[in-house]
Parts: sequence; structure tokens; C-alpha cells
Amino acid sequence: MDVKLELEVGLGQDEPRRAVERFERFANAHELPMGLVFKFQLALDELLTNVVSYAFDEDEPNPVITVRLRLTDARLEAVLQDNGRPFNPLLDAPEPDLGLSAEDRRVGGLGIHLTKAFVHGLNYERVDGWNRLNLVQPL
Amino acid sequence: MNVETSYSGSTAVAVVDGRVDSANAKDFDEELSAIIDRGVSSLVVDCGGLNYISSAGLRVLLIAIRKTNEAGGGLALCAVPDHIREVLEVSGFVRLTKVFATADEARASFSG
Repeated sequence: MDVKLELEVGLGQDEPRRAVERFERFANAHELPMGLVFKFQLALDELLTNVVSYAFDEDEPNPVITVRLRLTDARLEAVLQDNGRPFNPLLDAPEPDLGLSAEDRRVGGLGIHLTKAFVHGLNYERVDGWNRLNLVQPL
Repeated sequence: MNVETSYSGSTAVAVVDGRVDSANAKDFDEELSAIIDRGVSSLVVDCGGLNYISSAGLRVLLIAIRKTNEAGGGLALCAVPDHIREVLEVSGFVRLTKVFATADEARASFSG
């Protein structure tokens, strides 16, 4: 098996959901395990939500966000690309302190924390003005 | 997402179903805030029909935990599906709120 799907993602608040629901249909059509689909979907959602919310200035003339999915017998891969400001969520997002009380907990950082926990391989690179995140999940 | 709430004095059970993510976290926050604003200090969130929650939804739960703690009660979860429970564990939320099997057990935890 070697199947691919490419998605374009807009800047609206509903766009990450639209993209990950498209991924879910793709994954279900190829009968991937539900638990794996949920975790990968959550990771894509968190990363795309970050990009949609923070990567672009409001007057950005040509914002582009793409997701390229590839499924083989061995692995599920996603490449997220955007031409927004340079940002490595794997390093630049604050790590949440999970030992704090509800009153002292900060509200940020949880999305990336979940993403790191739920996806096997994560890698960021900045290439020719693009942020590129690679997600790899062995099957 | 849909929230259906039943009230009993200062305790309420909110049954949440569907999906909570960045697209509707604001609506979820408004639902829970409206319940607490009615004088509810002990809130049970029944997750039996919840099939998806992202960090945007967790933030809303955190705010509701703070508000109910402040009001002298608290927030408890019940009927949490396994994959949602894993999200709560990884995010450390199992330390912030108790998780019960049923709404009755969660409600009873507030009356002790």
C-alpha cells in the first residue's frame, strides 16, 4: 500500500477541524486502528491550530498551509508546511508543569505536550521560508 | 458538541457529547460558565458521549475547575471513554479533577 492525500488548510477557526476530519475519513477508509487515528488526529489538530492562530500577521498577503499525508504498509506520515513566521513548536513552546495545582497551572503548552506524547516521530525544519513539520507513526 | 444539564441545588450534572476542539471551545466555555453562574459550585461533567477533546477543550475544563474550587465545591468527571482518559492522564488532568465511573458516584463525592 502507498496512498497519498494532500490538503490545503485556510486561516479560519474551523479549518483545523475540517482538515483533521478529512484525515479521519482517509484513515478509516484504510481501516487504521481507532486509537492510532485519534492520537494522530489530535496531533494534527494541535499543530494546525497553532499555525492558524499564530503563524501569520493579519495582513499576510498569501498565507499557505498544506498537509501531505502518506500511508504505506509500514507507516503513516504527515508533512505540515506553512509560509508563516519561523516557529519550531517542538522547541519554542513552553513545557507545561503538570505538577502544579489548577490555580497555578498555565493554560498554554498542553497541545504540543500531547502531540509529543501521541506521535512517535516529530521533526521540524525551516526550508526556504517554510516551516515544515514531519510526523511519522509506525503501524 | 451538545451540553445537557440537570440541576439539584448547588450541584449540576452536565452531559457533554460530540467533539470539543479549537473551533467550538468558546461555546463549551460559555455553556460551563453559564451553569456555574447559576450558583453551581459542584459540577459533574459526564463525558460518556464525548468522542474528542483537544487542548482547547482542556483549557475550558481547567477554567471550570478553578471557578468551582473557588466557589467551595469542585469539578468531577464521569463515564470517560478510554481514549479521552488517556488525554487526561498525559495532560496531568487526572491530578486536577476526580474521575468516576458514573454520574451518581461523582455526585455523591460532593455530598460527603
